[in-house]
Amino acid sequence: MAKLYTDTDKFESDGGPPIVEAFHSAVKDLVRRKLDESGVPWSEFVFGKEYELVTLEEVEKIEQAVLESGYRYQTSAVISYVERPDAYKPIAGAEATSGSFSFEDPEAVVGVADGSRQQRGQGDNVVEHRENVVGTARYYRSIDDVMAGLREGVPDGTVAIIDDSGGTLTAPIIERFAGIVCAGGTVRSHLGILSREYGIPCLMNSKISGITSGDTIEIGVSGAAKTTEAYQEGREMSVPVWKHER
Amino acid sequence: MTTTTRPTYGELLQANNTMRTSGEETYYLGITRTVQESKFFPVSAYVMLGYLNAFYRYPTLLRKIEAQMSPEDIADRVRNTNSKLKSMGTNWCMPNFYLLGREMLINMGVIRPQDAAEDVVYVLDFWRRYQLAWRRDDAHVTNLEGGHRSQVFPERRIQVMHADAFRCAEGDPLHEATINFTAAVSQYAVLIACESRVCMTNHGPYKIADDEEMLVREFFDLGEGDLPWLDGIAADLPFSRLTLTTSIKDTHFYIVDDWGSYESRPEYKAENLCAVGLYTSDDLSETHTPVGMGSPEELTATLNRYADMLKETTTKLWERFASYGREQLMDAGAMTYFAIIRDFAHVAGVYEHEDWFTIDERADRFRRLLNDEYGNEILGALFVPLSLNSHQWHEYQMMRHSDLPKRTYSPLPYTLLTDDDGDVVTSVGDTLGRGITYLPPKEDRYWTTRGVMTAAELNTATREFRPRLFSTEFRYLDDAWVKYNYDTELADSLYRVDQEQSRLLAGKGAGLRRDDVERLRTS
Repeated sequence: MAKLYTDTDKFESDGGPPIVEAFHSAVKDLVRRKLDESGVPWSEFVFGKEYELVTLEEVEKIEQAVLESGYRYQTSAVISYVERPDAYKPIAGAEATSGSFSFEDPEAVVGVADGSRQQRGQGDNVVEHRENVVGTARYYRSIDDVMAGLREGVPDGTVAIIDDSGGTLTAPIIERFAGIVCAGGTVRSHLGILSREYGIPCLMNSKISGITSGDTIEIGVSGAAKTTEAYQEGREMSVPVWKHER
Repeated sequence: MTTTTRPTYGELLQANNTMRTSGEETYYLGITRTVQESKFFPVSAYVMLGYLNAFYRYPTLLRKIEAQMSPEDIADRVRNTNSKLKSMGTNWCMPNFYLLGREMLINMGVIRPQDAAEDVVYVLDFWRRYQLAWRRDDAHVTNLEGGHRSQVFPERRIQVMHADAFRCAEGDPLHEATINFTAAVSQYAVLIACESRVCMTNHGPYKIADDEEMLVREFFDLGEGDLPWLDGIAADLPFSRLTLTTSIKDTHFYIVDDWGSYESRPEYKAENLCAVGLYTSDDLSETHTPVGMGSPEELTATLNRYADMLKETTTKLWERFASYGREQLMDAGAMTYFAIIRDFAHVAGVYEHEDWFTIDERADRFRRLLNDEYGNEILGALFVPLSLNSHQWHEYQMMRHSDLPKRTYSPLPYTLLTDDDGDVVTSVGDTLGRGITYLPPKEDRYWTTRGVMTAAELNTATREFRPRLFSTEFRYLDDAWVKYNYDTELADSLYRVDQEQSRLLAGKGAGLRRDDVERLRTS
């Protein structure tokens, strides 16, 4: 089979993520095979014959082979799983009812209950506020959740718990939140930036446990905001999330 | 037909320098700025599709633009107005989108580092020439080179914005309206850009007083225009580009990076906002036109009215996106990224929607690989871990920011100067591949400061309009010239163009210093 230029690599690591290595390896095989079949030198192949030979259909066969091996992709956008449930893994917990679901992050710091509240995790504070925020936890994890918020309204005092660090999922209802606890991103992710513009207290990169919709929670936004330097140095700089006793 | 012109030694050296510095900054921005994942948009997947489209289309489209107008002319033409060409779109996106697409293809074995060398040199050279020209008052090619600072306005423009901004304080109506508007427009900008920040930027800081800095915030593509998903949704918005000037007290902005993000000490707090102004402009206006700037009360009402309109439009657009299928969301996102530099074509008057809002079949053939997981993993690998084979370098190397033996981009090999085996193809080709889109057809309506036009009308109008500040008389008069010639009639004439619509500075000319402007403002 034809040898590609990058097949000789003094520092080759093949250390990329498994799905990337699998796809790239298969595309390289496809290129080698088509280069052989074409019978032309590389100078006539690249940006020439390859446009006719390395086709959408050939690339689709690579993907099909991966799926036929039983592999299923991690889902990020809900639409991806909805349209191709045969190709994607369902989002963990997406099928759970909003009343019983809770994020269970193994890195959540769980403290000892003191009779009024118990630490149930921590997050990176976007902006230091004068006081902590106490409110009612409610999960917003899907377009349906946001649609419901649009249709029925967001109750006053809602602290939204979200696992999407983006700024689009909750766009139509974000300004109604009293606070935000986001399980992903950094303080400079879009949700962090937008919460700063709205003046909504917000924790990003939150690791929480044992908090379900309807719980009264307190987010420690009177603590210091996490800095760029802390991210660059990999330094922990989080504030607590507490669950109040009923 | 492909071209085979080989770059010179100097061109290769310059291109490799750009690749090295761009790659290091990409790593820094990746670490410090964002971890982005969305349940709404398949973000990483569409980003990669946009990068691939950039690799295959930028060279051809930029040559088409330069045949009409040079990058230096485009820079001087847009210098005095709000333009997406003066944002992260050119500061970072243009070279890096192209190079990240190239790096992906190298790691797939589809191309070699030396393939398309002429294209690489051309794209990066076009970018450098444009950057040097539009940022000439700053004289740094990027915010990075300026120490993460973005002081790109000439004195005459800063003076107008300084003079005309209205004072505000926490709790008063203008302060509250500004917060309300900023949140609404930022939210809308992220949504129209499909979960990206490419429709807004920040620049500055500009020092207004010892305890006060001005950060200029600009927003693009807000009204009906190029983005097909705004057709019929944004028709009621009476603007498409807005410039919000904000002065902040007791706060120093020590980083304004090439993504338009900022850091300050102490941290930015809305309570420190102390002055604000609002402007609009586009490629058919001479300079920034004040919006609602007759009085603090008028500006308060304008900001609140615009915020309400933006929130209403946000909900409508969100519902439209919620009805889109995955390929439509992929297209919208990929085109948002890829087409971030399409205003080069608008300014040159050679804009064609299909050039910028379709996916080239050469890129589209890889679409099926771009599932959510691969998208996240390949994008991540290209930015920070740099874990792909092309990134690995010899063990003595210590990359900036990480000290690891890695590089973001594959340099062009200097053997391009000596190889005579005929094995090198230096361009992807000089014609575009067939364009593909899953989006509904674009309606031929473009909002401008001169009313709604068709694309053809807009091209004609843009080609015919020659701003006075772009005339031979004025275009080469920079701050360095003004320093030694401020007392001339020519300098006064130059400043009066910018001052024409100023509430306080109209007709004042070139002789004012910062303290004079402040005295006029407080008298």
